[in-house]
Amino acid sequence: MDTPLLATRNIAKRYGSVVALTSVDLTVKPGEIHALLGANGAGKSTLVKILSGVLSADTGQIEVAGSSVRLRRPDDAMDAGLATVFQDPALIPDLTIEQNLKISGLAESDVRDWLDRMELGDLDFDLMVTDVPLPVLRLLDLARALAHDPHLLMLDEITAALTQDQADHVFAVMREWKERNRSVLFISHRLGEVLAICDRATILRNGRDVESLAPGEGGEARLVAAMLGDAAGQPAEVSERTASVAADGPVLLQAEALTRDTRLDGVSFELRAGEILGLAALEGQGQEQLFQLLSGDRKPDSGNILVNGEPMSARSPYDAIRKGVVLVPADRLQALLPQRSVRENLATPLYNRIARWFSLAGDETKRVANAIDRLDIDVRAGSQVQRLSGGNQQKVTIGRWLASGFATLLCFDPTRGIDIQTKAQIYDLLRELADEGAAILLYTSELREIPLVCDRVLVMYDGRIVHEQDAATSTEEGLLTIAHGLEEAPA
Amino acid sequence: MTATTPEIITASTTPGWQRWLRRHGWTTGVWLLLVAMTIWYSTLIPRFGAFEVSTIVNNSLPLVYLAVAQAVIVIAGGIDLGVGGMLVLVNVTAARFMLDQPFGMTLLIAVLVVIGAAALNGGVGWVINVSRVPDIVITLGTLFIYQGMALAILPNPGGGTSDGFRWIFTGSEVGIGRNPWPAIVMIIVPVLLVAWWMGKTRSGLSLYAIGSNRTAAYLSGINAARAKITAYAIGGAFAAMAGLAVTAIAGRGNPNIVGGNFTLNSVAAIVLGGVALTGGIGSVIGAVAAGIVLFFLNPILTAMGVDPNRAQIIRGLLIVLVMMVAGLLELRRQRRS
Repeated sequence: MDTPLLATRNIAKRYGSVVALTSVDLTVKPGEIHALLGANGAGKSTLVKILSGVLSADTGQIEVAGSSVRLRRPDDAMDAGLATVFQDPALIPDLTIEQNLKISGLAESDVRDWLDRMELGDLDFDLMVTDVPLPVLRLLDLARALAHDPHLLMLDEITAALTQDQADHVFAVMREWKERNRSVLFISHRLGEVLAICDRATILRNGRDVESLAPGEGGEARLVAAMLGDAAGQPAEVSERTASVAADGPVLLQAEALTRDTRLDGVSFELRAGEILGLAALEGQGQEQLFQLLSGDRKPDSGNILVNGEPMSARSPYDAIRKGVVLVPADRLQALLPQRSVRENLATPLYNRIARWFSLAGDETKRVANAIDRLDIDVRAGSQVQRLSGGNQQKVTIGRWLASGFATLLCFDPTRGIDIQTKAQIYDLLRELADEGAAILLYTSELREIPLVCDRVLVMYDGRIVHEQDAATSTEEGLLTIAHGLEEAPA
Repeated sequence: MTATTPEIITASTTPGWQRWLRRHGWTTGVWLLLVAMTIWYSTLIPRFGAFEVSTIVNNSLPLVYLAVAQAVIVIAGGIDLGVGGMLVLVNVTAARFMLDQPFGMTLLIAVLVVIGAAALNGGVGWVINVSRVPDIVITLGTLFIYQGMALAILPNPGGGTSDGFRWIFTGSEVGIGRNPWPAIVMIIVPVLLVAWWMGKTRSGLSLYAIGSNRTAAYLSGINAARAKITAYAIGGAFAAMAGLAVTAIAGRGNPNIVGGNFTLNSVAAIVLGGVALTGGIGSVIGAVAAGIVLFFLNPILTAMGVDPNRAQIIRGLLIVLVMMVAGLLELRRQRRS
């Protein structure tokens, strides 16, 4: 019998009074791609941080290839043969790629070898990291981790920012790693990927390992059931599609031939009260720029944005917000005041209307309380928003607008990196809001959810809207094909 | 059926010289500003020769060293308000112990003082790192501590040094003369050494790393504590060089020098020299030019017949103006890309 490559026993970690990990036993065998699954707040990130030496466990043992190791700092983990690709790029933005590699003590040629295999062999190492697009940075992070030649490669949501073929490169590298009898610990919210590539999966729930199984046994349903535990009886993914209202509400937001730089090329659409309009696109097709224009962050080079039939002509988000057009960005901390409380964050958009500058008036306090109730925000760690889980943070970003009121909600990938339970809550909320007469534009990177959540769907490719259809009749495959700039195969 | 994916730019298409200029544009700009000021100054005064050059180079030495000290620390994500205090402390310590000593002895004392200053300020870096108190708070404290220590070591102006020691920094045994070369060498050699170390070696790049993104640096396996302590130690050493330069120029120690003024000027110099106060960006080379430029303003304004009391206003306006122009240029660049 093989000695496990990695074995943890009774790993526990608490932050003050909040218990992140109760007791985790994780065993990874040599030559295994092992998935680590769990809803947000289950403890995945904490466990990875402990295994990469960023945090130290309160109790418990870690064994690598049979011998006990102590991981006090990241280099201890690297020395022990554990290399991690974290959720956020761990490269120094103000240095060139070459200088970054020098800091890590890696030979350029080793990193170049791995990049070659991911079709990035021509990457210019003299570029400043700030000038390199995010997906390339993720792959560079991966190549850097591989160049350390670790026994165990830990990948935390690496595919989140990648296009499909970039993700395929990552999978190819993972398989090659496995053939060398090395192992991978793979964390992903995309269960399809997990089913396709992982040999085993360990599922965490509330800081404990609740199950370890081969994903093939019982498939997606069983994984989801294990992650949800008691909640397993409820529908796993987004609840039943609600019958969409015929989109006959007044047009609240209208885009007319919006053009900006080389990224947006004549985008037009109408968004009506009471509808959820989906936007599907691969990474970097101009959706970021479109949301920047609609939220008043930037001005279009040409074209118009009409709110209730009148030009918005926003000079800053302030103007857009006053006209009822509000944004929920993907990067939650971009929208929040991380060191301030949940209540303060919810009240931020109200500050403009507070006549008495010194306190929130009674009406406003009530609005904030209502928003907390309605969103079911966990306020136990409420003194600083940065301590909340990602899902709860995202609820706060939406809650801010619930408290202040809005007409049009722009959601940019609001469920990125969020567990399915919270995700379902957010989608239910969006539907409720639409039923109450709000107009919602929803960009999501998870195409399979568009038919479930949206009324209509637009597909963007290379800065243009290339397709529009009734969301109920759309399919993930169909949308994906069109989003790649291809004609949909005739049905 | 082939899936076309959006093209991702991996190789830069801009020519090499353009990229170089973009990366080192600010440093180049400050040096050009210095050249322009020199040419202008030479037309303002009747005679511009070795004596004038020597005077300017010699007298800008303290500020230049402090600017380098501050640059190293700020690039590493800190800020050291204590450098001015260190200048005074080293000035009086050196002057007190160098009095009536032979040249060799004064040299030995100088070396010991620089090492001591590096150790002392490295300790400050350690305290900041352990206590997690913001740099600006701790070093505000060390500014007072250093200044107070200076008064304890030498309560009144006095002390002295050897003629040879004065020559090393000023090219003259009386601290003023027509030979700028020793001072130039005393700037160029250590600065190039530090610039090379910070730009090319793993330990030096760590300073940029922790200043640019401390979390990413930590995750990359960089010993952030060691890098920070190193930055403060090097800063302490350069602040000590500034103090030695003052000793050489004045030929004695003066505990009544206001260290805080020197600190503020060092911060002004690095800002002008292209070091971002948020850390991670800039170079010591730019800080050198900016240090000379800031000092140079005094003789230029005097030569122009500006009331010395008004000169401060112009110095302040210059800093604001340069930063505004730089900010606008950067904004335009971002808009275009």
